[in-house]
Amino acid sequence: MNTLLMIATRNLAQHKRRTMLLGSAVAMVTTLLVILLSLFSGMRTTMLRTATTLMTGHVNVAGFYKITTGTAAPLVTKYQGLTELVKKSTPGLKAVVTRGRGWGKVVSESSSIQAALSGLNIDSEPLFRDVVEVSKGSLDGLRDPHTVLLFEQQAERLQVKVGDNVTLSSSTFRGANNTVDLRVVAIAKDLGFMSGFNVYVHADSIRELYELDPNTTGAIQVMIKDANEAENVANTLRKAIEDAGYRMMDRVPQPFWRKFESVRREDWTGQKIDITTWSDEMAFMRYTLDTVQVLTIVVVSVLVVIIIVGVMNTLWMAIRERTKEIGTLRAIGMQRGYVLRMFVTEMAVLAFSSTAIGALLAAALCWMVNAAHIVVPKAFQVFLMSQTLQLAPDFGIAIRSLLTIAIVTTLGALFPAYRATKLQPVTAMHAGN
Amino acid sequence: MNSENLKTSAASAIVQLSHVDKEYQLGKVTVPALHDVSISIQAGEFTVIAGPSGSGKTTLLNLIGCVDVATRGQVIIDGRNTLELKEKELTRLRLDRLGFIFQSFNLVGVLDAFQNVEFPLLLQKTLGKKEREARVQALMESVGIAQYAHHRPGELSGGQRQRVAIARALVTKPRIVLADEPTANLDSVTGTAILDLMQELNRQGTTFLFSTHDPRVVARAGRVIRLFDGRIEQAGTESARADEASAHAAPQAGGQP
Ligand SMILES: Nc1ncnc2c1ncn2[C@@H]1O[C@H](COP(=O)(O)OP(=O)(O)O)[C@@H](O)[C@H]1O
Ligand SMILES: [Mg+2]
Repeated sequence: MNTLLMIATRNLAQHKRRTMLLGSAVAMVTTLLVILLSLFSGMRTTMLRTATTLMTGHVNVAGFYKITTGTAAPLVTKYQGLTELVKKSTPGLKAVVTRGRGWGKVVSESSSIQAALSGLNIDSEPLFRDVVEVSKGSLDGLRDPHTVLLFEQQAERLQVKVGDNVTLSSSTFRGANNTVDLRVVAIAKDLGFMSGFNVYVHADSIRELYELDPNTTGAIQVMIKDANEAENVANTLRKAIEDAGYRMMDRVPQPFWRKFESVRREDWTGQKIDITTWSDEMAFMRYTLDTVQVLTIVVVSVLVVIIIVGVMNTLWMAIRERTKEIGTLRAIGMQRGYVLRMFVTEMAVLAFSSTAIGALLAAALCWMVNAAHIVVPKAFQVFLMSQTLQLAPDFGIAIRSLLTIAIVTTLGALFPAYRATKLQPVTAMHAGN
Repeated sequence: MNSENLKTSAASAIVQLSHVDKEYQLGKVTVPALHDVSISIQAGEFTVIAGPSGSGKTTLLNLIGCVDVATRGQVIIDGRNTLELKEKELTRLRLDRLGFIFQSFNLVGVLDAFQNVEFPLLLQKTLGKKEREARVQALMESVGIAQYAHHRPGELSGGQRQRVAIARALVTKPRIVLADEPTANLDSVTGTAILDLMQELNRQGTTFLFSTHDPRVVARAGRVIRLFDGRIEQAGTESARADEASAHAAPQAGGQP
């Protein structure tokens, strides 16, 4: 092996130009792959963080309450007990929040917007504080009853400032119309399209609007350590909650709000619990991420093909130049397998060193991009749910990219190297060099 | 040569060819290169295959060197019938029992002289590092290139390169060393020195079989096998050496018994 490595490195050094050319191509593709994956992972992280914090949690334990067969309300009654049960039963739990929920109109003196309403207890929402960046006012203002947080574009539409009053208007689940007056205490920076239709108010304001008792909330939202575990956690919770004697909705992998119409028509009454995951709730987000992932795969595949062609081409050249050497070595007793290993080693040395360089370069670039706080165009902010471009490179991504490219490169070497093993030892005898 | 003779000589022969034909296929054309060649070479011999260009010297050495196969006939190397050996076994046979010296030296350019000589031992994997290096060192001293151990072939003269190649061929202590026109790419002084070296090594016990079309080289052979148009013309012996001088002047005379 030592000898193989020595021959490999020396041959690479011998043909500096060719080695540099292929090496930098391989390094560049690695860099690109790491950056794309970091971008993807950064997007995913940002989107997930924003969406789960603002709207759904990783696992959304919500409920339908039917007073009569023809109605349905998005309520969880006696939520305290259920919350304790959820906390107890969730593996890898990070946080649990309860949110009142509704749908209504926010009216100012000059304008109005339709919005999804969330009632929250700001003191039990540390993650919300991380995600929402207040530009005017303060989140602490939401501690007071009858307060509301708006996002910049909403405030602009409504032409209100911190300290102004708006009116929340909705029909109660019994069908009557009701309003609540709220004071704007905070205006937050936009977070993509999420901030277009979400309005956050003090939890009690939702209860007041819908005439609910203090033991009722809209949903129990569970944040877990690993978002990928959401499906498993949801299943665990489903079982635990059912075992505790609650009635459960059948599992339908659709957003909670989509089920409203059909639930309304069902002929049971009382409480049923419905558990969804962030990916049930945010199908569009999965599509966005899937699209980016597919794009990444396509781009990388093309690059990988280019690399393979480059590797094969380079190796053909090397083999053509060294035909006589191979013949000689075969003549003096080198087995075919050794010839194969000789060329594959050469490409592997090139591949691993250039991918390592490429990965380091990518890490440096990611760090620079993050440090620069590049503000992305508005159109992208909508998808990104963030204003700046954040790349999330990690050791795993770098190693995975490095290995992928290095292995692909090495595989590209296999075929030419295999052909080289078929060279006849007789070629050693041929005249000329 | 009758079959009786073949059997008796085969017992101790390193190389035993009987009724070997070799034809090359060039598209639809069959090019005969060797016809009914039977030879046997004993340990310790210093044999020259002589003949003009195109007479089949290289072809013959390739068959003996197990890098090509006969169209007809038997090639037995060190008691093993090469027709019956698999590719892997043939390669191992070349590694362990044959030594090769090439016309254009054929050293590995990226390895230095020492590493070139050491290489067959690395392929063999039978000797430990210490033993291996000692053997390479001793051999390089005996062929007079010890001081160039860490020079790459590109930094050596033709004669020095061929010495490295000779050391490489000898390092595995092969049963026979094959050389196809080993002096053809060297000037006559260097060529003579290389021949001196080969002869000296022969005296120390190495069996040599090499080809040449240089009459001066033929003159130094212990035994001459003459090829003409792919046939053996005359098998010279130690006693035939005296005739060689006249053979140079009139190559046709080589046909005489
Ligand atoms: N690979 C080959 N394909 C076709 N014909 C060949 C090949 N090698 C040798 N020959 C022919 O075989 C004959 C013997 O060639 P060779 O053994 O090279 O002779 P020498 O080494 O004595 O010059 C020549 O006629 C040559 O043209
Ligand atoms: Mg020849």
